[in-house]
Amino acid sequence: MVFCISMDCSDEQLITDYLAGDEKSLEILIKRYLKPIYSFVYRYVGNGQEVEDITQEVFVKVWRNLKKFDKQKSFKTWIFSIAKNTSIDCLRKKKAVPFSNFENEAGENLLTKTLADPTLLPNEIFEQARIAEMLNAAMNQLTLKYRMVLFLRYNDHFTFREIAEVLGESLNTVKSRHRRALIQLKGLLSKS
Amino acid sequence: MRKDFEKLFTNLKPKEPPVGLFDRIILVIKREQELRHTKRLLFGFLSLLLISLIATPISGAMLVTQVDNSGILYFVSTAVSDFGMFLAMWQDFSLAILESLPLMGMMAFTVSLGISVFTLRLFLYKKRLLLRYLKIYA
Repeated sequence: MVFCISMDCSDEQLITDYLAGDEKSLEILIKRYLKPIYSFVYRYVGNGQEVEDITQEVFVKVWRNLKKFDKQKSFKTWIFSIAKNTSIDCLRKKKAVPFSNFENEAGENLLTKTLADPTLLPNEIFEQARIAEMLNAAMNQLTLKYRMVLFLRYNDHFTFREIAEVLGESLNTVKSRHRRALIQLKGLLSKS
Repeated sequence: MRKDFEKLFTNLKPKEPPVGLFDRIILVIKREQELRHTKRLLFGFLSLLLISLIATPISGAMLVTQVDNSGILYFVSTAVSDFGMFLAMWQDFSLAILESLPLMGMMAFTVSLGISVFTLRLFLYKKRLLLRYLKIYA
């Protein structure tokens, strides 16, 4: 049996291969989604160690339920739904929603990382950092629901339908939430 | 508009997962895979143990009863006590012994004995794995 072993393989192909006995396919699948899922969970939970634990839990849940996954549906929305539900479960256990760590996303680390990037000029780096800081500050003032819609839409490049599937909301709710979130974000950005 | 916002959001660098998280995930999955395998093994072992514990004495008793009822012991003892006659009529004797063999009882006993030996062998080979699993969930 020939398995698809490149990173270009579709998610569905990788799942089929894994279920047929190719262990490598699962590793490719995890590698592909590790960063987006980690970022997604980070936006929800915002605490270092917990983000790691939840991300790990998400992938273990995915592995446990891989046989039950309906290949007619999108794997991307499925894994993000699992990530959302696992994050919510964690938040429920904590009974508190910490958003305070959010600004760290573009703090010193961004600067040290981008300073090492030879393709950017110093003024561009500072400009980028300034925009990131401004955007982060504005995003932090939005509610979690608004923030998640905007992140999924513009950071993870989801369609409205995919966002609706991930968040378990209707398409119209997502669209109107997106519209309201944009209006709020624009207002906040123009103020700053 | 979407493009503008997408461009704006590129300024936010996505949070990088820590080094080693991937390996940790793979390790946890592998460990769970192993546990699942052991659980299946333990379930199989316990089923076989139960079957052999019930089946061996029953099939043994069945074999003894069938041997007693079949008259095979009579043929065998005659053959042993009068070996000369056995040699003279060995074809008839052999046929009589074969006809009186308690085949069902022998088969049942052999199968249940086989299962018992296999169960014992499984336990001896996977002893450490099974005991470790039981210790985890004890």
